[in-house]
Amino acid sequence: MIAALKRLGDHVLGRGEAAITVPIFDGALKPNQLLEEAEVVAQIEGANDLASDGKRLLVADGMRIVALAGNGDGTERVRFDRTVTALCALPDGGVAVALDGVEVRVEGGTSAGGHWTGAAGIPFHAVNAIACAPDGALVVTDGSQRYDTERWAHDLMDRGATGRVVRLDRGTGQGQELARRLEYAFGVCPAGADIVVSESWRHRLLAIAPDGRRRVVLDRLPVYPSRVVAAAGGGFWLTAFAARTQLVEFVLRETTFRRRMMKEIAPEHWIAPRLRSGESYLEPMQGAHLRTMGVLKPWAPPRSYGLVIRLSAEGLPRYSLHSRVDGINHGVVAATEVGDFLYLLAKGPGRVLRLPLAALEKEARA
Amino acid sequence: MREAVLRLRYRFWPDHLLGEILSKRWTETAIPVIVLLLVAIAFSQAIPGFLSPNSLADTARQAAEIGFVVLGMALVIVVGGIDLSVGSMFALTDFCALFCLDVLNLPVPAVVAITVAFGAALGAVNGFLIGYLRLRAFITTLITLIIYRSAYDLLLFDYSNTIAAAFPDDALWDFMGGGGVFGIPSVALLYAAVAIFGHIFMTRLRPGWHITAIGGSRRSAYNSGIAVRGTIARCYAASGALTAVGALFFAARLGTVGGDVGVGLEVTVLTAAVLGGISLGGGRGSVTRALVGTLIVLLITNGLTTLSVKGGVNRMVLAGILLVAATIDIRWLKNRTRIIAKVYVSPTYHDMPALPGARIGEGTRFAQNDRLKDVTLIGLGRIEAPEDVILDRHDNLYAGSRHGDIIRFFPPDYEKMEVYAHIGGQPLGMAFDRNDNLYVCIGGMGLYRITPDRKVEKATDETNRSFSSVNDDSRLRLADDLDITDDGRIFFSEATVRYEMHEWPVDGLEARGNGRIICYDPATNTTRTVLRGLKFPNGICVSRNGQSILFAETWGCCVKRYWFDGPKKGQVEMVMDNLPGFPDNINLSSDGNYWLAMVGMRSPALDLAWRMPGFRRRMAKRVPLDEWLFPNINTGCVIKFSETGEVLDTYWDLAGVNHPMITSMREHRGHLYLGGIMNNRIGRLKLEGADPGFVQYDYRWGKKP
Repeated sequence: MIAALKRLGDHVLGRGEAAITVPIFDGALKPNQLLEEAEVVAQIEGANDLASDGKRLLVADGMRIVALAGNGDGTERVRFDRTVTALCALPDGGVAVALDGVEVRVEGGTSAGGHWTGAAGIPFHAVNAIACAPDGALVVTDGSQRYDTERWAHDLMDRGATGRVVRLDRGTGQGQELARRLEYAFGVCPAGADIVVSESWRHRLLAIAPDGRRRVVLDRLPVYPSRVVAAAGGGFWLTAFAARTQLVEFVLRETTFRRRMMKEIAPEHWIAPRLRSGESYLEPMQGAHLRTMGVLKPWAPPRSYGLVIRLSAEGLPRYSLHSRVDGINHGVVAATEVGDFLYLLAKGPGRVLRLPLAALEKEARA
Repeated sequence: MREAVLRLRYRFWPDHLLGEILSKRWTETAIPVIVLLLVAIAFSQAIPGFLSPNSLADTARQAAEIGFVVLGMALVIVVGGIDLSVGSMFALTDFCALFCLDVLNLPVPAVVAITVAFGAALGAVNGFLIGYLRLRAFITTLITLIIYRSAYDLLLFDYSNTIAAAFPDDALWDFMGGGGVFGIPSVALLYAAVAIFGHIFMTRLRPGWHITAIGGSRRSAYNSGIAVRGTIARCYAASGALTAVGALFFAARLGTVGGDVGVGLEVTVLTAAVLGGISLGGGRGSVTRALVGTLIVLLITNGLTTLSVKGGVNRMVLAGILLVAATIDIRWLKNRTRIIAKVYVSPTYHDMPALPGARIGEGTRFAQNDRLKDVTLIGLGRIEAPEDVILDRHDNLYAGSRHGDIIRFFPPDYEKMEVYAHIGGQPLGMAFDRNDNLYVCIGGMGLYRITPDRKVEKATDETNRSFSSVNDDSRLRLADDLDITDDGRIFFSEATVRYEMHEWPVDGLEARGNGRIICYDPATNTTRTVLRGLKFPNGICVSRNGQSILFAETWGCCVKRYWFDGPKKGQVEMVMDNLPGFPDNINLSSDGNYWLAMVGMRSPALDLAWRMPGFRRRMAKRVPLDEWLFPNINTGCVIKFSETGEVLDTYWDLAGVNHPMITSMREHRGHLYLGGIMNNRIGRLKLEGADPGFVQYDYRWGKKP
């Protein structure tokens, strides 16, 4: 009773749970321009995911998979009849892909031809990440049961909580649900016996044990995390496709406004995070966005942002790469290491970027 | 349906008044007055004849007696102290009066003089200890309370019988005790006189201001050179003297000395003062509040006595009220500014028709282009915030800067610049009059004039105060743009009367008609408001017919015409409605049309928020200003429109590198000069087919070469 009254009071006064505080970029997340200054390898508008077969970089580009050489030249590997929304290179030389988010298929390798359109009796709807567990099984995240992968902003504004993590046994073909009712699952990576999963709308990383128990690895992030991949030398690369702002947090608590906004306004002009911004004067502008004396402040609240976080094996941030509000390399959704380089996919401008790993490690020690 | 209710609710319910009323100083007096009325009504309902003339006269007699003591107490509290010894002083001075009269048999005037002097002396003891020796007021007056009371008890033991046996027969004494003029008791008349003097003293005279200043901040008062110690000491002495006056009338009315005279009086008096709104923290109080507090306390005690409530309960009620009043006083004082800040911003319902497209391919008159790409830049990085630009017939370019200067650039290349005049506030709109005086609107200051020999003169900084406004709106807060009519009258816009210049986003959040258009007549040196309730009126331009002005309403997204002369005098007409952006300055073009700067563009999210006042109110409270949803003023354009409001041409800077925002433009000899209040540059664009001899104000005043 008292708790309920307190919650009501908090809601009216904007305190406690209803407060719209957003953590700041601090400590290991202190802003820099490393991501903004990264080398642009290729411009691929339709790119959705990256993977590495150990020698070359694989890019899911629209309906095809392209192998990208270090100089940016691409050769087509496979072509599908639908858009590839997630990509995973398998140790046996094959690839696992998600098609339009509704089907997971294996191409090449020992289990070629394996395909799944659902698990635990529920069809896939927005599969956005695939990883290969040490035992050879596929682990996938299905972001939302209501909106496809392109319409993730709808899911956020609808306060979606229909994401799930599914394990697909390549041997038996069976699917097993590891977690459900996640607030947008986007990104998965095996870590020992556990599976690390990004829960985007709750700004956290979860570790899911084989028996389904969940443990919070990292939370209260100032960003919406996306895919997570293992880094050579232990730990992970965690990408973030957008940053949180107080205005969006406020809008998320304003149900009437949100409903009317979704009904009356085109999605690209919503008050919502985007992969890129600053293209149209119809986009909402916030106070600090005001261009003063010809300068847009990099600390302004980000409508779109570029961030990659290097996590330790325990899941704690070690350092981060930024492209700030005045930059371009925003909306980072995928990272993978190939050789001596870290390759990143900035989906906002449609760029494949790369940074030398040695330089990053030096940066981390500095 | 819900939308219609919302619209009506925001049209007829004046949300903005709450914040304005609360920020007035008189609210703190108004609340006790309301309490007084409630108490009076409640008791007159419960007790028949409670407010009859007889009863009132009796009440007035007691009220005035206590009222004198409350006045003294109020004075001491305002100076930052407290006087607990008033009850004992009351008893001692009561004794003094009767002793002089009955034992010494002195004449009444001498009795009055001695008693008042004695009271002042008693108070001066407190004053000396507290003012000069800087003892704590609370403990000091607590001690004198005990000492004076003991002295009274000792004296009482010796003389009470003598005094009780005496029956003084003196007309003046009787008049003081029971007489009156036209039924108004003598004591009440004197009280009224003292109260009026006290009010003038506290609000209009130097010592009164000193007292308030010391109570507000003793250290600051000392640093400003006020004689802190002496003033405090005199306040306590005055408190003693006023207590003595009350005691004199008490003695004249009852003529007795008893053990219980003045016992517990300090609580009653303190309750009255605090209840009236005299803050225990010092520095805040007035005579009116002391009077109101006295009446409330007296009505309550008399009312309860009439209702035969036991004496103990009576006291308990008073103590309870004191506790509540003191709590409210402290909480209010602590949170006053926060509460006002929270309720002052009051967004209203602002409905805009569907947003017309302006993007390439949407096929409207406003369609974007890149014609401002090739502007040459003047003063890049050397001028900051040129809201308006103007050129004279010698091609000199003038622009304001945020450092409070008018900067002049010299032709032909506009590389050399100088400070033409320093004014001190942000210069906004500019215009030349017939005699080459440069009139400038200065944000936060008003309308100024720079003579050809560079002398800065104030034209006007206030207008007539409107009756319906709670805020004092006579002072100009944000004079924005101006133009001059043929007969020399100057019409200028004031964007908002509720906020300062740098708070313009808050006005945009409210989207209420807070602005107005004002006319200044240099011939008579008078200033009158001609139009009110405009949504951020901005650019002003006298139209070619010479009988009307065109003005832009920035948040209203429209351009209107106001007829100041001719057959339609006084009328307002719409010229351009539902613009896709926020219009700013308007100026003449050489081809017989008008230029209009668009400082920013509407966005669908803001249009929706403007229809949801509750959303914006919560946003204002919970989201910091830097993160608010703003009107988008990072993209702007210049449009050319005809006398009838038809859009003829547009100029955009698509990339938004050089001129992300444009607040003004001025055509001059075949070029267009662009200014922007957030820019660090002035743009210059060659116009195709424009009159190469066009100088706006030479053309305007018929000095065409």
